[in-house]
Order: sequence, then structure tokens, then C-alpha cells
Amino acid sequence: MKSSNAPRRLVALIGSMVVVLCSAACSVGSLGTGEQADGDTTITYLVFNEPSTVKAANALIAAFEKDNPAIKVKLDTMPTGSDGDNVVKTRLSTGEMSDVFSYNSGSLLQAIRPDEYLVSLSDQSWVKDLDKSYLPAVSTAKGLYGAPTGGTTPGGVVYNKAVYAKLGLKIPKTWDQFRANNLLIKKSGIATPVEQTFGDAWTAQLVILADFANIAAVAPQWAADYTANKAHNVDQPALGSWQHLRQLHDDGLLNKDFASATYDKGVEALATGKAANYPMLAGVIDAVRQNHPQYLKDIGMFAMPTATGTDSHLTLFLPSGYYIPKTSTGAKLDAAKKLVAFTQTAKGCELLIQSGSYGPFVNRLCQVPADAPAAIKELQTYVAAGNTGPALESVSPIKGPDLPQLAVEVGSGIRTADSGAKLYDQNVLQQAQQLGLPGW
Amino acid sequence: MRSHSHIVRGLVALAVSTIVFLVPFAFIVLTASKTSADASRFEFSWPGDFVLLQNIAEVFKVRDFVIVRAFINSTTLTVSSVAVMVVLAAMMGYVVQRRTGLFTSAARMLVLAALIVPSAVVPTIWVLQALGLYKQMLGMILIEVTGGLPFCVLLCSAFVATIPRELDEAAALDGAGPLRVFFRVILPLLKPVVVTMVVVQSVAVFNDFTGPLYFLPGEENATVQATLFNFQSQTLSQWNLLFADILLITVPPLVLYLFFNRQIVEGMVNGAVKG
Repeated sequence: MKSSNAPRRLVALIGSMVVVLCSAACSVGSLGTGEQADGDTTITYLVFNEPSTVKAANALIAAFEKDNPAIKVKLDTMPTGSDGDNVVKTRLSTGEMSDVFSYNSGSLLQAIRPDEYLVSLSDQSWVKDLDKSYLPAVSTAKGLYGAPTGGTTPGGVVYNKAVYAKLGLKIPKTWDQFRANNLLIKKSGIATPVEQTFGDAWTAQLVILADFANIAAVAPQWAADYTANKAHNVDQPALGSWQHLRQLHDDGLLNKDFASATYDKGVEALATGKAANYPMLAGVIDAVRQNHPQYLKDIGMFAMPTATGTDSHLTLFLPSGYYIPKTSTGAKLDAAKKLVAFTQTAKGCELLIQSGSYGPFVNRLCQVPADAPAAIKELQTYVAAGNTGPALESVSPIKGPDLPQLAVEVGSGIRTADSGAKLYDQNVLQQAQQLGLPGW
Repeated sequence: MRSHSHIVRGLVALAVSTIVFLVPFAFIVLTASKTSADASRFEFSWPGDFVLLQNIAEVFKVRDFVIVRAFINSTTLTVSSVAVMVVLAAMMGYVVQRRTGLFTSAARMLVLAALIVPSAVVPTIWVLQALGLYKQMLGMILIEVTGGLPFCVLLCSAFVATIPRELDEAAALDGAGPLRVFFRVILPLLKPVVVTMVVVQSVAVFNDFTGPLYFLPGEENATVQATLFNFQSQTLSQWNLLFADILLITVPPLVLYLFFNRQIVEGMVNGAVKG
């Protein structure tokens, strides 16, 4: 008796589990969606799932819904990096994209074929408020597709003011001054002259990427020539950036653990004064503010010193854009356009600043707030003097995917600058051919 | 002498399993207990301020308690898809092994093909859209079932081969129909392999990140793996919260294992000997 009961019980158990859970499963998807009143339009809004971005997006939605009671906005998120790229491409090609979504501007935007999938926003009234430098990053020959999501991210050298003060060093403008400073710091032995963190390979690119405004300052046509296959990394002035990266290693200026250190280690070394300089994005300032707030006052930042002139120029990584896919139509399209326009108003800017953004911005209605960290205010001198320029990836659609790895090799002294630049040119060639650019 | 070498071997095994399993877990717990500044150093050290509870509270509060919804979704997805998968795989494995013929060899080929040919994301979404199952939990369950089924069918049919055919025949002689033979004679004997399938597939489905990312988008459909991305970005990550989240996600399977470890170990061991 007992043995014949057991299997029946097992079957009953599994069977009821399947039935109950399947029915539960079908309804759980709708958990948390609110009731919707008649006549309201609900649009979805997709952003990257970084904590600060989500916080800002929620504040934006609250303010927007207050101004437009007939529109409901539903927030959706996606991961950053290559997973995010795939999500965007998948959802665009299956017609399931959110009504408004944010995504990188510049070369990554070109890779999602804006002419085919996105609604042109050239006729919107806020376009006239945008900085001229931003327009190419969100445009194709056929139209303008995006509105800036926030401030630019400056790239350059983040430095420790306490170390500079102790040795009486001046902010370098040229590469020679920078090198002389570093050799002095090395001689004094109080700090590592230059921090590098190749444990996170992307950090190795900054010496090259943040030098671009300097190159563009002496060769304004360089980006266009590069896109047209007329200028290359193996020739000056671009080769200079690769040589600098190699020289930092050959001069023995790097921290001992440069090959394995991670970004967060680099931030700590710089904040505590163990390192004097860190070629990096201004995002370091946020990381110091979160993890080492007592040292925030010691952090400063300057543009990548130049080897091609006498005055260095600050490279600005342009903000992502808000885009509207062609699959939003009718009332949803109008609501989506309203939401995008709202982000470009003075109020939208105020909300951005409240959620921790500080620019510099590319919308003229938006100014750097008075309480921005000192390092950001320091960079205002470049902005005021007009000594800024967009990063190469914002003005040219080609960026080879192997740059981080090649930069690590050159920066670790494994490969010469010439060889690294040459391999990168080959990588760029493949990228350009994939994009089908003329002249390759 | 002999017992001496046994002790040494035992100690070595103990030391290895400590290093392989306990040290990483200790690292997770320690990092989850640190402040964000301490956690960003990635050191294997005792936290300066022990803030585990605050971190866990913070993780729960992120995005309107999205993690609670994620746990409900992940549990539903895992339990339903594994239950369906196991029942279907046991039935199919039995039939494919017992009946030989054109139809079953074709089915065998299809099972193999499903193991070999990778599924593509965009066409799968087209199919889901056509069926009205895109962004639906049911659609995701079907995808997970399809993904795990071939492996389970192979496992089952190999196991059924070890069950003597005479058992089926005896039951049939006693007047049992095919369904009865399967449910009352064969399925109970499959218990070891069922346990193996449940363990392997539960882990696989619970840990699946890319599946829900592409086929089940939407904030209300979040799964636990997706919540891990709430705490990382390129230049600013909250490692302490990330590890607290990992800890929260690791604990439920661990608790289940503590309760069911006798059955799991027994099933795995039985399966290993017989299959």
C-alpha cells in the first residue's frame, strides 16, 4: 500500500505545482502596474541603470508628470556596456523600443543606424539652445536625432593638490612641463608621479583619448581626414599620444602595480596622495566624493598637457542623447517629443543639477552650479578661454574596439608606440569597412 | 599507518574545500558589511564599520523595492520552468528509449540538434511577438524549458536504459495502461535523475541573466540577476551594496540546500552509480 501511494503523491505534487505556478506566472508580470485613467497617454522611458542616472530620471518624471497630468511616464532600465548595446539593437530591430530612450552619442549612435530607426528631431525648438559642438554627435547627413541627457564629462589629468603644493609645482600646459614635474615628484619620492590602472583596461585609453582636443586645436581638419582615411594614427600628431603613453612607462613614473591595479585603487591612491597624477575622466571626482570625502578638497584637474602647442585644450566627452524610435506614433510620439523638450528647458537643467550633475553643459540654458566641486570649477578656465574640444569618438564614427588592449600593451612597455598605432590603424580599418564609410 | 594517511587525506580535502568554497563566501560577507570607501579597496579584511544591516536595508530600498519583485519573478520562473522541464523530459526520455522507430529516431535527432544549434535572439523575439508572449512570464518560462529540455531528455533516456524492460512488461501484464506504467512504475525509479535535473536546471535558470534581459524586458519583470546591475557603472560603483545584493541572492538557494541536502546528495550519488 505504502509503495503505491508514494508515486501517486509525487505525481499529484508535480502536477499541482505546474498548474498553480503557471497560473501565478501569467499574472505576476502585471504586478505593480497602476490603473490607467481614460484619455491618458502612457509612454515608456528607457535609461541606463546607473544609480545616479535612475535617480535623475525619477526626479525628471515626477516633475514632467506634474506639468503634464495627461501623460504618464514609465521608467525602464538597461545595463551599460556591451549588454546595453545589444539590448538597444535587439529592441530597435524587433520594434519593441521604449518611446524615449537614452543611448550614447557619437560613434555608438552611428552603429544603431539612426536614419532607419529614429525620428528626426531637427525641427524641435530646443535645437537652437544646443552648443554647436554637440550637434555632429547626434546627427547624420539626414537629420538631428538626439537631445543631450546631461553634462559633458571632461577627460584629462586628475591631480593631487597637496602633493603639488608640497613640491611647489605648477599646473603643466605642455607635455615637457608635465614630464619635468613628474621627474621631480619621482626624485622627491613622496608620491607615485603617474597612476595607471590596467586592471580595468578601459582606463589605459585616457592618455590617448584625452589628448584629442590638443590635436584638434592644431589640426582642425584631423577628425574629418581620419574618417575619410586620409589621416592615421601612425603619423604625427596622433602618434604623439601613443608616444606619451609609452614614455610614462619608460621614465619609470608609474605605480608598481600598474598592470593589475583597478580603477577604484587608482582613485584611492590619488585621493590619499599616494599618487600625484591620474589620467582619467572627471568621474573620479564623484568616486572620491563617495568613497573618500575627506580628501575631496585635495583633488584638482587639468587638461591633458600638449606636445603640439603651447596651451593645452580640454577634451570633453559629450553626453548621451535622448532618442525617439520610429515605432512611437500618434499621441505617444507627441508625448515623447514633449518629454524630450522638457529635459532641455531651464527646469530640466535644474533637476539635472539637483541630482548631482555639474557640467559643463552643452545647452546654453544650463550653467555650472556655484557649489560644483573645486576640480570642476578649475576646468571652467578652459571653457571660458574657449580651449575645449569634443572627444574624437563624438566627431568621427570610427573607434576601433581594440584600443583598450593596445593601449595597455603600449602603456606597459610591451609594444612600441609605432607598432601600437599601426595595429590600431588596422583595427580602425575593419571598423570603417563594417560601417561602410566612403574611402576605405 | 593506514589510519594516519586517512587523516592526512581528510585534512587536505577539508582545507581545499575551505579555500574553494568558504573563502569566496567570506569575502562576499565581509565586503557586504563594509562602507563604500572600505569596499572599494577590495581587501580581504575585517570591516572598519560593520554596516551589513544598513547595506541590506539600502539594497531593499533601491528603486521602490525592486528586489522583492525580482525575487518573486525569479522564483516563479525557476520553479515553473524546472517543474515543466522535468516532467516533460522524463516522459520523453522514457518514450524515446523504449520505442524504437522512425518517429523516435527523428525525435532523437531533434533533441541533439537543439543541443548543437544555438538559439538566436531576434528571431526568437519574432516568434514570441507572433504568439503574444513577448514580455510575458509564460513566454520566458517556455524559453527556459526549451533551453533545458534537450539535456534533460538525454539524461533521462540514458537512465531509463538501466531500468529493466521486464518491469514494464510485468506491469502491463497486470493490466496497467501506458500512463499508469509510466507514472507508477517508471517515474518513481527515476527519482535520482530527477533530483539531478532539478538541481542543475534550477541553478541554470536562477542564474540566467541574458535570457530575461532580452526576452523579458520591463521594470516589472526584473529578475534577481538584473538587480546586480543597479550598483555598477564605469566610474562610480557601490561595491558594498553590490556584494550585499549578491549575498541576498545567494542565501535562498543556500537555505534550500541546507534543508534538502540529504535528498540532493543521495540523488546525485545514486545517479552517479546507476547512470
